[in-house]
Amino acid sequence: MSAPTVERPADRDVSSEVRGRAPAPSRGGSLTAYAMVAPNLLLIVVFLLVPLVWALVMSFQAKRSFGPGRWTGLDNLTRLVGDDVFWRALLNTGIFTVATVPLSVGLGLALALLMDRALPGRGVFRTIVYLPIAVSTLVTSLVGLLLFDETVGIVNGLLRDAGIGPVSWQTDGRLAMVTVVLMTLWTRVGFGMLVYLAALQDVDGEVMEAAEVDGAGPLARVRHIVVPWLRPTTFFLVVINLIWSFQVFDVVYVMTNGGPGYDTTMLVTYAYDEGFGAARNFGYGATVGLVLFVLTLAVTLVQVWLNRKVEES
Amino acid sequence: MPFLNRRSLLAGGGLVAAAPALSGCAGLTQRVSATTAGRRDLLSVQVYGTDVEAKIYDELARRFEQTRRGVTVDLVSVPFSEASVGIDTGLASGTAPDVFRVDYPTMGVYASADQLLDVGDALDDLSGDLSEAFLGAVSHDDRVYGMPQHVDTSALVYRPDVLRDAGITAVPDRPEDAWSWDELADVADRLTDAAPDGSSAFGVNWQALGAFRWLNFLFQAGGHVYSDDLTRADLDSPEGRRALEFTASFFERGWVPGSTSTKAATYPDALFTSGTLAMLYAGNFLLPAFAETIKDRFEYAVTYLPRDRRRASELGGNALVASRTATNPDLAAEFLAFMGEADQMQAFCEAAVLLPTRTSLLDQQLDFAVAADLMPVFADQVTTIEDRDVADVTTATFAEVNLALANELEQCFLGGRSVEDTLAALDEQVSESAALNVEDGAR
Repeated sequence: MSAPTVERPADRDVSSEVRGRAPAPSRGGSLTAYAMVAPNLLLIVVFLLVPLVWALVMSFQAKRSFGPGRWTGLDNLTRLVGDDVFWRALLNTGIFTVATVPLSVGLGLALALLMDRALPGRGVFRTIVYLPIAVSTLVTSLVGLLLFDETVGIVNGLLRDAGIGPVSWQTDGRLAMVTVVLMTLWTRVGFGMLVYLAALQDVDGEVMEAAEVDGAGPLARVRHIVVPWLRPTTFFLVVINLIWSFQVFDVVYVMTNGGPGYDTTMLVTYAYDEGFGAARNFGYGATVGLVLFVLTLAVTLVQVWLNRKVEES
Repeated sequence: MPFLNRRSLLAGGGLVAAAPALSGCAGLTQRVSATTAGRRDLLSVQVYGTDVEAKIYDELARRFEQTRRGVTVDLVSVPFSEASVGIDTGLASGTAPDVFRVDYPTMGVYASADQLLDVGDALDDLSGDLSEAFLGAVSHDDRVYGMPQHVDTSALVYRPDVLRDAGITAVPDRPEDAWSWDELADVADRLTDAAPDGSSAFGVNWQALGAFRWLNFLFQAGGHVYSDDLTRADLDSPEGRRALEFTASFFERGWVPGSTSTKAATYPDALFTSGTLAMLYAGNFLLPAFAETIKDRFEYAVTYLPRDRRRASELGGNALVASRTATNPDLAAEFLAFMGEADQMQAFCEAAVLLPTRTSLLDQQLDFAVAADLMPVFADQVTTIEDRDVADVTTATFAEVNLALANELEQCFLGGRSVEDTLAALDEQVSESAALNVEDGAR
């Protein structure tokens, strides 16, 4: 069966007709626009850009909690390159990202497709899936701790009752990572579902009907119509999930504290421990934070570039 | 929406998504302190602790107000985990509270960085009633920077019913009869053999910031963290090896749950109160919580910490200190002196079930709010703390040593790293901090 070719309304309307009629902004209009964005711009400069530059400055210093920093050139970066814990944290962050991003987006889409149908009690199911988003991640992380505590956790209690025996959720590094991934998915899938559900309302019903008449089965319709239609939404979800995964902190901090050993230590938890932990090493903590920033920026830019290439083709 | 095409929308989305990334870095630098400085007649005080401690702090603060007409004490109680970050940023930004509570190991960081008020003169009366160890815990370069409000330490809490079921009928009830390490190993083996699924022989309270409690075993083996002059590490020693081999065997032989290692996200007292541990190395500050949560579900008692070459116990507890930039330094010093008076110290310790630092009070039978019958064991444990032990844990860089202990010990306990490699790694990190101690002129 050949896939039906779909011309999306957005492409037709925006790219060919509207863009050509865009009027040049007037000087007064520009001033008004700047005035409108000024409050936000001020906040971004004060609370984002200034601290970012400050962090950059500190990354070249030996800076503790108190007193002025001492310029040490590239010492922090040199230490970073030879720091086994940093590389372990980077690897862990990579593994965590690879595990959580596709699953968050994929499961979100699957649930959205399911909840988009006329199921009995659909509203209740949607609420249940979305509920973890409405609750603080600290609370969901504590729920995770309650579930996966090796000794008194609910999961091991059930496994013990079933005669399977306790599982080393906290003392086996790989399993500890699995618990962190599972709890993260629980909190993220609802968001993906909600965004996809909104996007699904824009899928042209006539096109779907036409495909059905042409003999396309449910899977083919999803693969060849729905998924391409939702590509901008998918792009948004991938980017935001990538950034969330790079920034994972609270669930690790509460559930594993980076352990066992360094098996679940992530870049942000490591930066926090160095900067605000007992070491109070602001300079090195800022260096780890900047590496994380550069990585996040690079991955996001690659995503934007890839998306643009696909759009252009 | 003529100006807004899909690409603009996506770029905007990207920026929105990138904002948290930027703020993630900002989190490393921006002020997160919620502390505030006081005024001439308003003393700002930050404490942490249990509900009972918060209540008695409040009561004593009101008592201070009554003795100083026109003075108000603005008391704020925060969770322990948030206290030091708030104080750090408060000190850095000039908004630290006038007076705050701090544990002895962390106090060294502030004192060596010249962030605390010298209160030696105001605490002259108290200093005469303190042991050298407790005075040393709040001193830096021969100056007194804090009021050692109380001390706490660990003992071995146990369940007589579980021990009886395992055939252990005799538990030491005199300090001189404290179990040796070999006897503890024998007891642990018997408890492990008799333990039902999901239960363990015991747990140790060395999680997170309590990692330094591993030093109890080091001290018991006759070892120390630093050389006598505190200029180099002394962990990679026969005593250090013996302590680490013994404590690593807790995990190898299944005496303790794997989830109670030094980086565990939870504390083992919850396991004891839930009934899954037969014994627990526990601090006396937990006794009110035990009374509250265990009630009469099962019986529990306390015995002395097992010994090796000597008896030893950690210097736990907290001091009250004043910020060097306190708005009214005289008032802050007066408050510390007031809280250090025998009446206030006694009231605080009796309500919160903590041990006083005044020698005159330690010698008295205090009327503790709960578990008064168990406290003499803890009071005796305190007497095993030696000046040299205190010197080890109150250096300017001990907070970093504490972190190194948590990280490196877990590599040995759960990660399968050898005792030799772990000691070498620890020794290296402690040596680095010892070098900083020398630079700092900490001692």
